[in-house]
Amino acid sequence: MEQVPAFVEWIQNTDLSTAIREGGLPYPIIGGIHLLSIALFGGMLLVTDLRLLGWTMRKRFVSDVMNQLRTWKWFGFVVVVVTGSLLAWAEPVRLYKSPSFWVKMALFALVGVHALVFRAGVYGHPERLDKAVTRQAKIAAAVSLLLWAGLIVSGRLIAFDASFDE
Amino acid sequence: MNAAEWVFPAVQSVHFVGFALSIGTIAITDLRLLGFGMRRQKPAELAADLEPWTRAGILVMLVTGILMFSTDAVGYHNNPSFRFKMTCLAVALLFHFTLHRRALRRDLPSIASKMAAVTSLLLWTGVVAGGRMIAFV
Repeated sequence: MEQVPAFVEWIQNTDLSTAIREGGLPYPIIGGIHLLSIALFGGMLLVTDLRLLGWTMRKRFVSDVMNQLRTWKWFGFVVVVVTGSLLAWAEPVRLYKSPSFWVKMALFALVGVHALVFRAGVYGHPERLDKAVTRQAKIAAAVSLLLWAGLIVSGRLIAFDASFDE
Repeated sequence: MNAAEWVFPAVQSVHFVGFALSIGTIAITDLRLLGFGMRRQKPAELAADLEPWTRAGILVMLVTGILMFSTDAVGYHNNPSFRFKMTCLAVALLFHFTLHRRALRRDLPSIASKMAAVTSLLLWTGVVAGGRMIAFV
């Protein structure tokens, strides 16, 4: 077996990792919650971004749509990240060797960069977009959609990487 | 579709985007009926705004779902999780285009419309959970 760093081995050998990996039901249940929160969070995210692009809810103010969905988006995001972390904790060795996992983590880091870059001009002050959606906001929405589509694709590809065939 | 290794996960990814779009937008209307968000819009207005995207998502979900089913039709047919998922899906779709739609037309949320919202959320949860379990049963 290819060598992995000690901390990856350590995670793999924790009780929590073993319990999720080998417990039978926990893994698919956590995976199911992960998927459900993708549906919930993904739906909210799509509606926000599509509103910024002017493709839905055009009669509603941007700030109205964004402010009302904010709490639920955060809720979905937290559940996605927590369940995703638990799934990763259960399979650290396989994930370490999975190229798709690293692509997914890189995209996830870019989501953070995206949030920082566009906070001041777009997401922090949606009411400023009520009169007219700026080009910057449309770019933010398009990039956000691409990043999350990439996260879904790379996430799904993990299960098909060689390290998960063993 | 069984020919190249990347085709199945690619189609599956599109399936995920499709259900995020459809189930996500349906969940928004359900949360509205329950009084948990988007309260400044009437349920009917919200539903009218979102329905085209819900339908687009359902279409994407069904087309990619049928493609994946076709790669191993017998295997899926015999899989109990798959059967559970299909039962939930049939009821969920029927519900969405009948009672759920009617519940969204009412301006004042009633007990009945809240029950419709909970039923809708449970049915779609069953679809996703059943789908996830296919790989494990």
